[in-house]
Amino acid sequence: MSDKAMLEIKNYSKSYGGDKKAADDVSLTVMSGDIYGFIGHNGAGKSTTIRAVVGVLEFTEGEIYIDGHSVKDEEMECKNVTAYIPDNPDLYENLTGTQYLNFIADVFDISEQKRKESIKRYADMFEITDSLGDLISSYSHGMKQKVAIISALIHEPKLLVLDEPFVGLDPKAAYTLKEIMHEMCDKGTAIFFSTHVLDVAEKLCNKVAIIKQGKIIASGSMEELTKGQSLEERFLEVANEQ
Amino acid sequence: MNSKSLLLIRTLLLSTDQINIYKHTDDKKKKSKIRLAYLGTVILYMMILGYLLVMTIGYGKMGIINTAPALCSMTLSLLAFIFTFLKTNGYLFNFKEYDMLMSLPFESKTVAACKFIYMYIKSLPWYLSISVAMLISYAYFVRPSFIIYPMWIILTFVVPVIPMLIASFIGFIIAKIGSGFKKTNLVQTIFTMVIILFFFFLRFFIEKIVREGEIETTLENTADLTLKSVKLFPPAYWFSKAVTDTDLLCAFLLMAVSALLFAGVFYIVGRSYRKINSALKNHAASKDYDEKELRKRSIEVTIAFKELKRMTGSTVYMTNVAIGVILSTVMGIIALIAGFDKIVKTVTQGAPIDTKILWVAIPFFAYFFIGMISTSAISPSLEGKNYWIVKSLPIDKRRLYRGKMLFNMWLTVPFMVLTVIMLAISAGVPFLNTILYVIEGIILCAFSSAWGCVCGIKHMRLDWENEIEVIKQSAAVAIYMFPNMLGNMGLIVLVIYLGLKTDANIVMTVLIFITLLLAFISYKRAMRLADRSF
Repeated sequence: MSDKAMLEIKNYSKSYGGDKKAADDVSLTVMSGDIYGFIGHNGAGKSTTIRAVVGVLEFTEGEIYIDGHSVKDEEMECKNVTAYIPDNPDLYENLTGTQYLNFIADVFDISEQKRKESIKRYADMFEITDSLGDLISSYSHGMKQKVAIISALIHEPKLLVLDEPFVGLDPKAAYTLKEIMHEMCDKGTAIFFSTHVLDVAEKLCNKVAIIKQGKIIASGSMEELTKGQSLEERFLEVANEQ
Repeated sequence: MNSKSLLLIRTLLLSTDQINIYKHTDDKKKKSKIRLAYLGTVILYMMILGYLLVMTIGYGKMGIINTAPALCSMTLSLLAFIFTFLKTNGYLFNFKEYDMLMSLPFESKTVAACKFIYMYIKSLPWYLSISVAMLISYAYFVRPSFIIYPMWIILTFVVPVIPMLIASFIGFIIAKIGSGFKKTNLVQTIFTMVIILFFFFLRFFIEKIVREGEIETTLENTADLTLKSVKLFPPAYWFSKAVTDTDLLCAFLLMAVSALLFAGVFYIVGRSYRKINSALKNHAASKDYDEKELRKRSIEVTIAFKELKRMTGSTVYMTNVAIGVILSTVMGIIALIAGFDKIVKTVTQGAPIDTKILWVAIPFFAYFFIGMISTSAISPSLEGKNYWIVKSLPIDKRRLYRGKMLFNMWLTVPFMVLTVIMLAISAGVPFLNTILYVIEGIILCAFSSAWGCVCGIKHMRLDWENEIEVIKQSAAVAIYMFPNMLGNMGLIVLVIYLGLKTDANIVMTVLIFITLLLAFISYKRAMRLADRSF
């Protein structure tokens, strides 16, 4: 693991105009090579935090840095090194899988040779090579999720942000994604993802943060946090304490 | 414009291109629908072209063809403004793939500008149909120099830009104001309506200024009015002057100002783009738990309530369906305040008409606005990806579509009754006649709901990218709207004519039965289509 901070969230808060804050003074750091799990109940503030990280959601309180660049002030520098997979990806349904992936490759200016190799490699791994010529509208949810994942991987991001990435994936694809995450982490990519599947988080992550009602109530390395318990037990304990 | 902008525009166009779907689908039914839709669109372009050709040939015969450039630029500007204004919320803001696009390395202003250019390119065939028709007549009668032809065509591409930018900027201001409120959609819809009404009445106001002192209306006066009006909007004037006097300075001014304004607008929009979309896409957490919402209702009423929530949840939907009922109500209120005669004089531009002969057309005047759009034509397609919800529930298809028709009745009947009564009171119509007009108005609403449902089911399209494709550009809406509006205009002429020949109440009674029959036939057809729908 490297000691370079790839994602730094400092005192980030967000409210949608109501009395309640969706994210309240959230601070955490994801280092290069980390697989950082972000867990919490539905509506706890996971997606609100993730969407601010990837530059989709405007925020005024706090700061978020990606690879040393401010998300607020250096939008393009941040986006160039980040890939984001939303929980329910809205892809262009009337494009074929190939057309969509080609669009993403063009956006990141990936050479023809490299894009062909990457798309082939990941499409084979997720077993959707034969379907890439079909319209995305004809895909199942899981297939759309696979296309979204491939689109996030083809430009080799330094920071991979995933919101509930395992939802809708078949067991084989979920396993493949986990393998890819390990592989990327070994190469120094930082991975920050939200999940409800605590077993997966426990096996996959080296660090984890628990968020409740917009506040981080526990965070740290997996060993520090679980203290010999399972993540599920620890999560329930911490969540009930607050 | 950089290569990334071009890439985004190309992808936006490809993602809504029916030819791309045609090429990559094996579904024969879908392919046939696409072919028919293309054929329908081409026919529509040709109809517009033909209509304007005939109109401008008439101008040529009357010796007023010199107004064609002014008329062309004014028509393009007006249409560009209206269409863009009604589409801004949905294309520029609050669009479905916002998260995906904004997480990619595109600057906010690039996304906004590309969305604008996409909107512009999609509208171009309409503008070209109008412009080419007018150019043909102008060329035939005036025989201008050769340079005018390329100049006219090139400037046709430029003249809609400024009105589109103005409309987008107003849409941006409204979105910005709306994003500061909890009831974002409601605030945006109210502001949008206010702007639409403002421009609707501005037209009469300008006409009044330009016409100052003129009483008699002749075709020459209309031509004169066009030439005077065009001077009030510089871009339209520059177009007109450029193609009439081969004025290169005006052509340059039009292009330069368009380019500068484009850069300026998207610099400003880009600065607040993420903030506005963040606010529009999220809602404040509410702690309100209303047990009243758990009341038991019939399936039809439940579906109608669902439609109500769907409409109030979308500014684009609400604006487009509410425009007719609001305009009709405003017309009624103005009639009450200013008098029925005054409205007739404004519309007929002072022609001496005995307003009594128009009484019989009162429900059709109201229907002209109220029946402009039917929610039942839109709502089947608007189910989109959520179609599985109603499909998987144990709902009889007939009851589902009856619920959709019921919602259209909820929306239209109160406004129809109100407008007809206001118009009748302002015109001094006797009580019995008023009752007949109200009955006819309600039956017209029933017809609109049933006919809309026929079009909505028959031309249902669930695979849309943006709801504007359904609300403003779908085959269901076009097929509902055009025969409905033309038929209504024909009926206005017919009832007035028959009212002169025989007792107007007898004419109205007969019409009530005919409309009722048409509504019944449409309803039956809708139910048959409902049975066959998948």
